[in-house]
Amino acid sequence: MSDPRDNVQQEFLAEAQELVEALSRDLLLLDEAHHRGERIDPALINEIFRSVHTLKGIAGMFGYKHVGAVAHALEDLLDDLRLGRTAIGQNLLDILFDSIERFQSLLTLEDPQSPQEEAGVQHYIAAIRSIGIEEEVEDGDPIDKYAIDPAVLGVLTEYEEHRLRACIREGLRLYRLRASFKLMSIDDSIEALREKAQEEAEIITYLPSMEGGNDDTIELVVLLAARVPEEELNAHFESRYGSIEAIAERTHLPTLPPRRTSIPVLSMRPPSEDDGGQASLRSVADSVRVDIRKLDHLMSVVGELALVRSAVNRIVDSFKNDVTHRQSSMDLDRIGRGLERQLLELRTGILDVRMVPLGQVFNKLARIVRQAAREDDKQVRLVVTGANTEVDKLIVEELTDPLMHLVRNAIDHGIESPEARVRAHKREEGTLALNAYHKGSNVVIEVEDDGGGMNAHQLRDEAIERGLLTAEASQELSRQGMLDLVFLPGLSTRSEVTDMSGRGVGMDVVKTNILRLGGMITIASEQGTGTKITVTLPITLAIIRALIVTVAARTFAFPITAVQEAVPYVPNDVHTIHGRNVITLRGETLAICDLGQLFGLRKSGGREGRFVVIASMGHRKLGFVVDELIGQDDVIIKSLGKSLSSVRGFAGATDLGDQKVALMLDAPSLFTEYFEGPDAFRALESRP
Amino acid sequence: MSAAQKATLAPAPDSDTGAVAVLGVLVGNEAYGIPLACIREILVPPPMTEVPRAAAHFLGVISVRGEIITVIDLAKLLNLEVRHDELPGRVLLVDNGQELIGVAVDRVIQVYRLEPGQIEYASAMSADLSDYVVGLGRVQNQPAGSSDDMLILIDPVSLLGE
Repeated sequence: MSDPRDNVQQEFLAEAQELVEALSRDLLLLDEAHHRGERIDPALINEIFRSVHTLKGIAGMFGYKHVGAVAHALEDLLDDLRLGRTAIGQNLLDILFDSIERFQSLLTLEDPQSPQEEAGVQHYIAAIRSIGIEEEVEDGDPIDKYAIDPAVLGVLTEYEEHRLRACIREGLRLYRLRASFKLMSIDDSIEALREKAQEEAEIITYLPSMEGGNDDTIELVVLLAARVPEEELNAHFESRYGSIEAIAERTHLPTLPPRRTSIPVLSMRPPSEDDGGQASLRSVADSVRVDIRKLDHLMSVVGELALVRSAVNRIVDSFKNDVTHRQSSMDLDRIGRGLERQLLELRTGILDVRMVPLGQVFNKLARIVRQAAREDDKQVRLVVTGANTEVDKLIVEELTDPLMHLVRNAIDHGIESPEARVRAHKREEGTLALNAYHKGSNVVIEVEDDGGGMNAHQLRDEAIERGLLTAEASQELSRQGMLDLVFLPGLSTRSEVTDMSGRGVGMDVVKTNILRLGGMITIASEQGTGTKITVTLPITLAIIRALIVTVAARTFAFPITAVQEAVPYVPNDVHTIHGRNVITLRGETLAICDLGQLFGLRKSGGREGRFVVIASMGHRKLGFVVDELIGQDDVIIKSLGKSLSSVRGFAGATDLGDQKVALMLDAPSLFTEYFEGPDAFRALESRP
Repeated sequence: MSAAQKATLAPAPDSDTGAVAVLGVLVGNEAYGIPLACIREILVPPPMTEVPRAAAHFLGVISVRGEIITVIDLAKLLNLEVRHDELPGRVLLVDNGQELIGVAVDRVIQVYRLEPGQIEYASAMSADLSDYVVGLGRVQNQPAGSSDDMLILIDPVSLLGE
């Protein structure tokens, strides 16, 4: 159906995107290690080099000229870094981080060859090149400290030589290990050795020895650098690989005669060089990229199968009382149940495929945190928990922008400057925590900072000043109510627009986006201590469990996530406060709202025999009066058509079988309507 | 919408002679024509679910093979004085270019082929016609019950139902 070239293009973009994301993740690790002054894992730099290398390769194949050129320049820089010709510094890290944005914008170009981009790309490449090569200034080569056979030194690659130098400088001891390997399985065995060594040591190189070995085996001499003493190293390898001996340090005699073993000059290509392309090809082989629309389609097929199944069930039921068909009806019933189980499994399977870890978003946010902190001259430590929490792919996509804004806000307005923090007896470095976890069928994401917190009264005054709130109405506001004002359109606690909030979105837009996803956002803030924003979202949008109710002979469905409980409605218990009906439930006052009246389906309020469905959204609760409770069901939500999109209060509709449709109530919008009045919507809509 | 624009929205000819196939339907006692090309299906109305607080011309939503379809009452949309004391006779699934919508009518008459000479465009008429009307089609063998031998041609693109 679609143009095959488009598909190939999509494949490329998806793979390039993955590479850029991997690059971004690794750069963050590098940045963190650098800032803590930790030892930089050479494997990490190799990983970064490989991502860029692969990106360069595929960009070339698909005619993404600019991406290729940038990747090429970066590759050179990373190669210098890998070989120790350049040291890691702030400038270099900045240049590397810039590449992420640059790649992302270049990948979204309609014309990947676009000449308009030429100047910008060349400028950036010049910046990369200007990082230049800082030749190492040495007080004598550290390798001279050891009595290494010159024959070995002669065959080291530049990279190996650099690693050898670096290891010695870090104070690692050098060892020589001899081991024989079966020729048949030598690659795997060396890989196993490499892994085994990783915790304690680094393999610099290995070369075949001339002594051991026969037709089937070969003896290798492995040059190791280790942090641990000889005995421990021996214990680590459990003598499985033969003898380990320490290489003597030279004392005063730099020309100590070579040791007994002489290693022949026989070059074997070490696998650490240049296997990047292949490694990445292998790593994608067992996963498939799927267009989310294809999954949506499968999901609706499953939905239709469920409808077919209930139609079959009805026929089975009609046969049950018929004696002549007794046996076949029982058989059909059994088969029907089997079908139902398989259907459920199929549905679960498809839902599972749609799930992706939130870590994808968190990585993007980590970059924002770094950038924002640098622009603001603030010190921010990012603590992430629950990056493995899985959410529907669609939700993840829609979530990125709101979360990005929350994170920017937390750094921009929340966390104080280091000086201010010291004055407030806090650690200089602020902490921004991103926590994600499952709670029932919801996923909760918290953005929490230990900054200055929000000034509730200032918010209130600001709202009055801007005419968003009357002084009279402000009297009734609780502290929480004042904090919630931050979600009103056109309210910002800072009058000046900073560089960071330059995207022109406010908390009101964040809230609208979260509500659109069927979620809820709440705010908690203590002045001087910090702010915590909690976003609660459904795990998937496709299928939800619903409470089916009737109101004025019409059927509606409540998302079960919003429902706390249902209690019988007792008209005598209803009181009126400020024109609103309330009941008392276990000592707590609860506002109630008759759905029939709200929807204009009846004039009179509730009467005996009805029920109150108590829904909660964040810290708010509201009871909805309904006529009957029908039961719970898993339903597939379909959106209402475009023409009905302006009708408030419904999140969609669902087919209950038999072509009977129930409207799905949109709890967040009903809450907003009840507590803030229908005008709240108009205010939201007037914004772009 | 200007008259010129409306003319371009006229049913596209689907034969060499420029003839257009339209489905004639009865709403109240007036006959309307909807281009056949945009009609996907003619349904016996399934159970209708009313949408509270939607505009009056929305009858509600129906489920067609699992998809939720919004149904518009053509009579109410055109401000016809018709009483609906029962379900509509038929629901047409119409592709208005943006979504598949249901259009409720009282009865389906038949498919007509209108030659260019049989169509009179609204832009050429002085009569005050509704925004949803492209023009008039003159047909001979009208069935009994309709007031005249005119088909009022509906522009499907205008049936956005806002």
